[in-house]
Amino acid sequence: MRRGVTGYGLRIMGFVIALLFSLSAFGQSNLTYELKVGTTGENALLATFPESYAGEKVNIKLRVESLEFRDLDYIFADKPQPIVDRFDSIYSYTDEAKVTWTVWRNHKEIKNRSQRVLVGNAYKVFEEYILQETAAARRSRGWIWWLFAGLILAGTALYGGYVFYERRKEKSLSAVEQETLRRKRMGMRRHYGSQLYLWLLLIVLYAPIALIAVFSFTKSKVLGNWTGFSMELYANLFSGRADAGLNSAIWYTVVIALIAAVCSTILGTLAAIGIYNMRARQRKVVRLLNSVPMINPDIITGISLFLLFVALGFSQGLTTVCIAHVVFCTPYVVLSVLPRLSRMNPNTYEAALDLGATPAQALRMVMLPELWPGMLSGFILALTLSVDDFGVTFFTKGSGGLETLSTFIYSDARKGGLTPELRPLFTLILLVMLGILIYINIRNSKQEEK
Amino acid sequence: MQIFSSRRTWAWPYVVFMGMFVVLPLILVGVYAFTDIEGHFTLHNFAKFFSHSEAIQTFLYSVMIAVFNTVICLLIGYPAAYIMAQEDFKTPKVMAMLFILPMWINFLLRTVATVELFNMCGLPLGEGALLFGLCYDYLPFMIYPIYNTLQKMDNSLVEAAQDLGANRWTCFWKIIVPLSMPGVYSGIVMVFMPTVSTFAIAELLTHNNIKLFGSLIQDYITTTDLLNYGAVLSLVLLIVIGLTSFFGENDSEEKGGGLV
Repeated sequence: MRRGVTGYGLRIMGFVIALLFSLSAFGQSNLTYELKVGTTGENALLATFPESYAGEKVNIKLRVESLEFRDLDYIFADKPQPIVDRFDSIYSYTDEAKVTWTVWRNHKEIKNRSQRVLVGNAYKVFEEYILQETAAARRSRGWIWWLFAGLILAGTALYGGYVFYERRKEKSLSAVEQETLRRKRMGMRRHYGSQLYLWLLLIVLYAPIALIAVFSFTKSKVLGNWTGFSMELYANLFSGRADAGLNSAIWYTVVIALIAAVCSTILGTLAAIGIYNMRARQRKVVRLLNSVPMINPDIITGISLFLLFVALGFSQGLTTVCIAHVVFCTPYVVLSVLPRLSRMNPNTYEAALDLGATPAQALRMVMLPELWPGMLSGFILALTLSVDDFGVTFFTKGSGGLETLSTFIYSDARKGGLTPELRPLFTLILLVMLGILIYINIRNSKQEEK
Repeated sequence: MQIFSSRRTWAWPYVVFMGMFVVLPLILVGVYAFTDIEGHFTLHNFAKFFSHSEAIQTFLYSVMIAVFNTVICLLIGYPAAYIMAQEDFKTPKVMAMLFILPMWINFLLRTVATVELFNMCGLPLGEGALLFGLCYDYLPFMIYPIYNTLQKMDNSLVEAAQDLGANRWTCFWKIIVPLSMPGVYSGIVMVFMPTVSTFAIAELLTHNNIKLFGSLIQDYITTTDLLNYGAVLSLVLLIVIGLTSFFGENDSEEKGGGLV
């Protein structure tokens, strides 16, 4: 016991040292730069820096109407010079727009300037509605504060009313009853405090999701701009009128998840049976091997597989993504089948063989009926992991245009906006999951009653 | 005996598969780190890393962000887990369910929605947004292991301490906290490891303003000429991960299980 606590003490000390060590990363970026950012006749940026900083690298971001951004790494030159990157290489508006420059060095913003300028209309990539929508979204932002304030006010009023009502009822009670009530309330109040904490956490946790769900019922392109109730996005999603990229991403996600889940369930179940029958030392080695993909973060799994495929000269695509998904799903299947194995009678399989069954028959008729709950939970876990994966898919999908939902959302978000049909899609997923969880919960509590 | 050994061989396909697609790739990361683009042995990539101040600063910054995020998650998550594990808390299962449910929404989509929420409230997208988003994504990983250990804890120990005259604080710090340490530890590992290696969330949360180590690795590894240098960076990350999981080794049974 004592040793255990000391061990934790050491570990915490390790973290504190890491914290102090990493704090040193601050403080190294407190250089100040003289920097002028302005427009020239050709909408270019002009940046000047003190000569002593020649050769230093900064990162300059351009943002137009808070929608699009572009960043360029810029090396300080000896002399002031215009940055050649013009606005016409950003998606341009046809009109005057608010342009924001921010200059960053080592994660710190060192300069920030925002100005309305006439942006070159050489490339009319953006359609008019986005401009309108952003304007409308900016106008409509005030309501969220009113909503918060309203909710808090309503809550306080309700609670106050309740307390007032209770107090009035109390006055008619005897002194002893009042005292017991007071004690009871003390206990309750403690309870309310903790409940309140959990609910506040949940509200914060659900706020972004609620945003997605609420805005799935309006057809605006930009999340956060309410243009009236509409079910059009749902209709688009089901009639296939949504973006073609989204449709293929949904399709690939489902196909990959099913392939990966089926393969990893078969492989993992066989492996679990094998591991269960191994000698202790062998079992330890294989279980260690099994835990490696679970400990590895997805970026490491993705990169190492990417390097393997590069080294072997595999062309990356559906096959490589499926292999990668099987790699990180199978360990979980193994872990969900193993407990079932240790619960079943180890002799039944041999008994079946002695009675004349072939190994395949014995597996099918004796082992599978015992193992299937573990296999099923492994299968579902594999499906979930596969659908949710981003890191591994990102590195193994190759450049052939294969996108799953995760990578599709990523590239969409990098471009500055989300395909609107994603909102109804994930609202539906949330509702289905909620339904399943409630069902499981009810079923479990009913079983407990029995 | 023959039958017995044949059943043991059922794991072989898996072992071969894992050797091919887990062990070999990890070895390859090392091989790539120590070779140049033509495949000759070189230490040049490591020399480049140690003289590359941007990479080292990004690395330190990522570790710092990960440590901060872990601390914040612990500070927020421990009370939540503690409240849920109380005996008189009536609906722990429902609460637990509500905490996992957001994880079924794609984390990138949640991140984008968080960005939009920040925009709506007029809050700036900087380090604050980054920490909020990371904490938001990884909080359930902290709450779960702690909740599990607290729930399994033998309550008679707490009662014994109270009978022996310990007040609530002493009881909490001397009994409950030490007993929940395994859960705290696996929570720390489960939050720290993904945060230190995160690479997409930071870009989205800060409109590409803050770059974490994961994004740096991504940039190099996807550039053909700089692949070997990217392998060095991955190796550095791998070492950090290895150290972290070594710290959490004793609690390996808590990991992975129980979460979904």
